[in-house]
Amino acid sequence: MAKFVTIGERLSTTAPAVNKAFLERDPEPILKRAKQQLDAGAVYLDVNIGPAEGYGPDLMKWAVQLLQGEFDNVPLALDTANMAAIEAGISVYNRAKGKPIVNSADAGSRIEYLDLAAANDAICIALCNAEGIAKDNDERMGYCQTLLERGLEHGMEAEDIWFDPLFLVVKGMQDKQMDILECIKMFSDMGLNSTGGLSNNSNGMPKHIRPIMDSALVAMAMMQGLTSAIVNPNDLRLMETIKSCDVFKGNTLYADSYLEI
Amino acid sequence: MPFTAKSGKFNASINTVTVGTGDKAIKIGGENVLPLYSFDAAIENAPKVGIEITDFGMENEPECVKKYYEGCTTVADMVKKAATFEGVDFISFRMEGGDPNGANKSTEELVAMLKEVAEATDLPLVVCGSKNVEKDSELLVKAAEAVQGKNALILAAKEENYKAVGAAAGLAYNQVVGAESSVDINLAKQLNVLMTQLGVNAGSVVMNVGTAAAGYGYEYVASTMQRIKAAALSQNDAQLQMPIITPVASEVWGTKEATQAEADTPEWGDQEKRGIDMEVETAAADLACGSNAVILKHPVSVATISKLIKELV
Amino acid sequence: MALKGLDIFKLSPKKNCKECGSPTCMAFCMKVAQGAVDISACPYFSEDAKAQLSEATAPPMKTVKVGAGDAELTLGGETVMDRHEKTYVSKTRYAVALCNCMDDATIDAKIAEIPKVDYERIGERMFVEAIYVNYAADGQSDYVELVKKAAALNRVLILGCTDASVAKAALAVCKDCKPVLNGATAANYADMNAVATEAGVVLGVSGADMNEIYDTVKALEGLGNKNLVVDTTGATVKETFANTVQLRKAAIKDNDRSCGYPSIVNLVKVAKDDMHLQAALAAVLTIKYGSIVVMQEMTYAEALPLYGLRQNIFTDPQKPMRVEPGIYPLNGADENSICLTTVDFALTYFLVSGELERSGVPVNLIISDAGGLSVLTAWAAGKLSSSSIEKFWKEQDIEGKVKNRKLIIPGKVAVLKGEIEAKLPGWEVIIAPKEAVQLVKFLKDMQANGEA
Repeated sequence: MAKFVTIGERLSTTAPAVNKAFLERDPEPILKRAKQQLDAGAVYLDVNIGPAEGYGPDLMKWAVQLLQGEFDNVPLALDTANMAAIEAGISVYNRAKGKPIVNSADAGSRIEYLDLAAANDAICIALCNAEGIAKDNDERMGYCQTLLERGLEHGMEAEDIWFDPLFLVVKGMQDKQMDILECIKMFSDMGLNSTGGLSNNSNGMPKHIRPIMDSALVAMAMMQGLTSAIVNPNDLRLMETIKSCDVFKGNTLYADSYLEI
Repeated sequence: MPFTAKSGKFNASINTVTVGTGDKAIKIGGENVLPLYSFDAAIENAPKVGIEITDFGMENEPECVKKYYEGCTTVADMVKKAATFEGVDFISFRMEGGDPNGANKSTEELVAMLKEVAEATDLPLVVCGSKNVEKDSELLVKAAEAVQGKNALILAAKEENYKAVGAAAGLAYNQVVGAESSVDINLAKQLNVLMTQLGVNAGSVVMNVGTAAAGYGYEYVASTMQRIKAAALSQNDAQLQMPIITPVASEVWGTKEATQAEADTPEWGDQEKRGIDMEVETAAADLACGSNAVILKHPVSVATISKLIKELV
Repeated sequence: MALKGLDIFKLSPKKNCKECGSPTCMAFCMKVAQGAVDISACPYFSEDAKAQLSEATAPPMKTVKVGAGDAELTLGGETVMDRHEKTYVSKTRYAVALCNCMDDATIDAKIAEIPKVDYERIGERMFVEAIYVNYAADGQSDYVELVKKAAALNRVLILGCTDASVAKAALAVCKDCKPVLNGATAANYADMNAVATEAGVVLGVSGADMNEIYDTVKALEGLGNKNLVVDTTGATVKETFANTVQLRKAAIKDNDRSCGYPSIVNLVKVAKDDMHLQAALAAVLTIKYGSIVVMQEMTYAEALPLYGLRQNIFTDPQKPMRVEPGIYPLNGADENSICLTTVDFALTYFLVSGELERSGVPVNLIISDAGGLSVLTAWAAGKLSSSSIEKFWKEQDIEGKVKNRKLIIPGKVAVLKGEIEAKLPGWEVIIAPKEAVQLVKFLKDMQANGEA
């Protein structure tokens, strides 16, 4: 089994400092956050430039070249609603360290993102959701099938479609949590890869609680077969949990210094 | 319908480590396929074969080995002679007399002898300690210093003395460092981590993950080596991508198969042949499981294993 | 081989008709993969798809039985590439080659030689299990007579013969001992198949390269014969190793059933007269996928390490190898010699007995039943304790068999000294060093001091 793939989430326009740096093409804050995440053990970095209408393609190219140039072709997830920006980003992307990830398709209006990923030999995150929130796992698996078929029709390998069960917030949707975990098990039983924005679960919780909830959830989800997650790699507790789970799952060989590598 | 074999080539590869200097330097490792699978992708550096000489010279050698060194009076003579045997890629000098529970020779005496050995050959040199961790933390440090510039492989740093041996060999005197564990895959990895944390270049580390003679718990050796290669290649585990060297001679020549005189067990037949087959079968198994270099004693074993490698790779 | 839901889904109709009771085809396939539903619950799965799936769920490698009675051997049936993944089920078997190209004297000498290697090692009989009887068209002696002589050894016979009429004649005299007829090629497979099927024996397939072998296997399968082994011997050592590995890999990893047959590797063809090279290759092929390895000869020199290696590699990783508990007198020990005890874990036994033998000091090595665990593990599990030793002493009547009252115990369980002395009155318990390698000096020192 391959090691769990962490996708660092901290390069996002939702953070004002990042947004400003993107708009001003200011490398310094971007590189700083990227370095923090890579030092902490992130495998992929998510580059969320927001909707970025119009200027998206230029911005994504700039960001891809900036990050890959500085950090030895670090693999990236290109995260925007602007499809042209994703294509532009891929056009300058170096695959030496891994295929680009298209973030993301869903089973509703964003299904063409799969076509885009297929056409560009990219990995695609496929959110098993359409409009609203899926009511149960029958519905989620229905979306999963739609997305899988779409990808396969367009010539993708099943392993390049990473299914996202859509992690839900505990405060308000506590009763849905086990469904999500079961859904991950179904992906895993099917032999499919999976990922998702795991920290959604702890939205709105006190800051000191979030790492605890996120760590517990990642351990349970990895047990169910989750193969990747979009996370804050600078959450030490979470990263230590992931590394420990990788040992239990045999994804990596134990050594006393396993947390340091 | 033709037979279509899927390629077993990996994206990751074993590190390439150079031992020795000049024309005779050897490269070990570098492959991106399972051991000896040259049909999956070309194996750039075929496994290498070394011959072992100890500080006891002729004294402790089995009769069947002594006859190949006829006329040699010093260890340096033996080294010169060994270099002429077919298939010898490197010389391994084992300072077993340093063991405080054995002959307890002084570090000065052994290092002086090592210098003679180093001067006697331009073949790459592997320097093996006394197996006693305290003695080796002094002996191997001095040895690393004595052969500066030779890019020798110092075998080996262990968990107990990796700081002293690793720092001397890998940092102060720019040699290649051996990291020795005993059929313990987690410790094998840990030692590599510690060595790199110490500042030793990962490209200058070679593992000795332990061995056994064929029949003597060899299943542990096989699985340890196979799991290391699997993790290095399929999981791209950088802390296990160091090539593996296996000292075979010191393990096999003490077994009953090699030491029992024909007079005592006539049905077993020729003692020399038994020793050689024990050595070649163990070495061949090591290569099949993942060793990138083996250290042997009998010249016929060296020639046989060298031929095996040429035929396979 | 378990199928993933995805493999089944790819062949499914993808109609989402719900007639099977599942909401989607994907959900249905998942249930099929788990074994919760039978695939027949779907009315729309094509016959072709079902056939593909049943093929895919069959064992990846055939289990083939050869030989009859005591000599019967089981080959193949492996499910993993590496022993640590699970376990290997059928060990490599070694054959010695005879040929009608040899003169009678050579043949008789070889036949007299073969039974000489026959010994026991940790409960396993080690001997040459098969005889390869090669047919050369221009051979100087009668092939059928040679087969008869070989059959008298009561080992599995492998008839290396590509001439269908000769093979038929040979089988007439030996088919009841269920030999392997190793002789199908691209040129003769139909005839050979008829001969093998009629005699009810396993057919071996060979060819110039893997493509030819593969085609011939497919053709034989087309004729309804899956009772096959594959001769992976190529023109060179390199080709031979490649064929042998590729065959197994295609069977286990790529699920190609036409590769799921045991292998025969004939080292006489690729390393003739170089016995050391053959020994080395036999070791390589024991680790890498030789089902039957044919050698020119098998003396103790080749056999001792080779059979030991095989015993190691094919031991179940879940079950440690154990030696028989009892008293092992070493270096000419008698009832007056000192005693030393350790556990029945085979590796410990070999390490300790090796060092004891090297010391030359007469010692009674007493192996007690410790569940096949190593010293510390056995101690922690309560299987090596003062009570277990006391019990063993009584069961085996140690005190009746040995007069010496000194007992050396493993250094790692020094804590047991007092308890053992309490439970075995009259015995002096001595603590050994912690590592086996230190035993030589320890015992020699004891001997020098007149203590042993």
